[in-house]
Amino acid sequence: MIEIAASTAVVYQRIIIDIAMYFGLFVIVAMALNFQYGNAGVPNFGCAVSASIGGYTVSAFIARIIYWVGTNANIGMKPYATDYDWNYNNQFNTYLMNDYIAEHALFGMSMFLLSIALGFLMGWIMGYVISLPAIRLRATYLIITLITMADAAQILGRNVVWISGGTLGMWVPNVFEWYPGDRTIIMAVATMLIGIICYFILRTMLNSPYGRLMRGVRENDLTVQSVGKDVVAIRRNVLMFASGITAVVGVIIGYYYSYIIQSNFIRATWTYWPWLMLMIGGAGNNAGTFIGCALIIAMRRIIIVYKWALVKFIWYPIVIFESQLLATLLLIVMIFRPNGLIPEKLLRIPGIDYKRLVQEEAKADWRVERIAPSERIGLLSKIRGGGKKKEEAE
Amino acid sequence: MTAKIPNFAHGTYAGFGVYVSFICVRYFEMSPYYGFPASFLLGGLMGIFLYKIVVSTLRRMGGGAIVLTISTIAIQIFMAQFQHIFAYWTRVTYGLMSYGFLLKKEDFKIFGFQGIFPVSLFLVITISLGLRWMLTKTKFGIAMKASAEDPELSQVLGINIEKIQVASWFITGGMACLAGALLPMWFMGSPGAGARLLTSCMAGSLLGGLNNIYGAIIGGFTIGIVEIILTAQGMKTFGLWVGEYRPIIPMLATIAILLIEPSGVTGWWARWRVGGGYERLMTRLGRSKEE
Repeated sequence: MIEIAASTAVVYQRIIIDIAMYFGLFVIVAMALNFQYGNAGVPNFGCAVSASIGGYTVSAFIARIIYWVGTNANIGMKPYATDYDWNYNNQFNTYLMNDYIAEHALFGMSMFLLSIALGFLMGWIMGYVISLPAIRLRATYLIITLITMADAAQILGRNVVWISGGTLGMWVPNVFEWYPGDRTIIMAVATMLIGIICYFILRTMLNSPYGRLMRGVRENDLTVQSVGKDVVAIRRNVLMFASGITAVVGVIIGYYYSYIIQSNFIRATWTYWPWLMLMIGGAGNNAGTFIGCALIIAMRRIIIVYKWALVKFIWYPIVIFESQLLATLLLIVMIFRPNGLIPEKLLRIPGIDYKRLVQEEAKADWRVERIAPSERIGLLSKIRGGGKKKEEAE
Repeated sequence: MTAKIPNFAHGTYAGFGVYVSFICVRYFEMSPYYGFPASFLLGGLMGIFLYKIVVSTLRRMGGGAIVLTISTIAIQIFMAQFQHIFAYWTRVTYGLMSYGFLLKKEDFKIFGFQGIFPVSLFLVITISLGLRWMLTKTKFGIAMKASAEDPELSQVLGINIEKIQVASWFITGGMACLAGALLPMWFMGSPGAGARLLTSCMAGSLLGGLNNIYGAIIGGFTIGIVEIILTAQGMKTFGLWVGEYRPIIPMLATIAILLIEPSGVTGWWARWRVGGGYERLMTRLGRSKEE
């Protein structure tokens, strides 16, 4: 009886860690997406590309660096230079390196940080590459190219063995091996920490002048262009930065699974689900993104964990049901709540009472306004007051 | 064309066509060609249904091009799952091979060729001639073109845009489904077969230019031929590994088109005519306008 209770507790603990981990991961993707689509109006359907680049960075570069260190430390590493050795000696090498990292905590941590930095850099460069063909054109062209690029990333990962082990995939050393307890807990904590850092970076960027410029591009790019701003460059920069952040998620998921294969980075998981989170929460504000992400992740993980219970009600495979749920929810949200659960908020600009300015503007139709110009305060009303005087003079 | 959005669900209509052919052959044991009218009708009805339920609703609520595009992607995911369910159900209930099948055997033969070649060629010519006739000679087709160009102005002239839209979704859906019905006679049919076509479709229509039927035919042929020939030649020259990269070819074509000439062959043709190239060619051929 006690055993059953203990195992139930373990199950619940696992579910909670799992949900926390996935929440941490997907909230970063969804925030990056919100940064692009919600604030700059760049419809990025290529999140899967960026995430896979993060994963490939770990498997192609960081794993090689780790193996190189191991070879120099003379712990009996097998060769890994050719494709064949890379694939088939991979498990053995990883096993040796895990022992090595268990004794050298600093090395593991530095590799983790290096992989995040390198992943961000690679994602950033990849953002430039994928933005090249269509960033100048209409949004729909951008969507088409980015969707096809996700397939291209997968095809390359499947066929070029030295990237991620081809169809077999490859194991990556566990950089948290030095941690004595449950590895997933420290991974979840690290992910949440990175998520919080990302949140503050993105929030600062949104509330900066550049953030206002981004909203300007979203609302009316012609106007922004006419005052001398390079709209294409702004869109590209936003795409590159967000792509870098998404690549960091790819890095973390590689370490979480300890295994990297191209089929981990499919479009449905890395593009469509984050889009659903964004649409449910409401584009343009991070609070909505959090809520949407939490709802969707909790729902998905519970469906996956309690598959055995759902089988009684649904006669076809649950995977199909999950995809149908994704599409149905997306359509329902778009039709019944186009602005999401939480509507967009105004940006905070230090020094300016932006809220009052906007509220004033909302009711300040000069034809019906009855307050005398002298009673009104603020810059906008002064301008309006001048206009009214002129009319009175006429 | 008339909705001015790329319809990502198109490939999925084709997937339904694949299964119509499958039902014809495996359930009723007749030639897959009898299924063509049914698949056209099915695709058309599906198009109307989706337009009425989703696209029209979203547009009435003021959804922009991006929202509509996302909605077509959602539809694509949703519909593709029905094919999966059908394939699963067929396999479980009747024990038929429904996840990967080829209907080459059921095809008839003409002079040693598979019957699919003349049939598909005939269908392409008939459909393009029919569309040409409809869009230039009938009142309905002209109204369709007008509403694609300027919906508000054509509404002022008394054209019922809603009807036109429904009709165009019927025709496009039916054609996509028909194309899907042709597919399993030559390629492997599976629940994801339609969606796999999408990249090539998009590349073809981009190459052809998005607003022109002939452009679409030229683009489709070019992309198809280039894809097959480049892959085959690459496999001969460099080795078998090239075959794996076949889906990348239409992708590269898409990127090249977008970088060089985003409006495709149509835009190039228009520029060539305006720039005087057409006149020069006609003069060289001895058919200048002055004579």
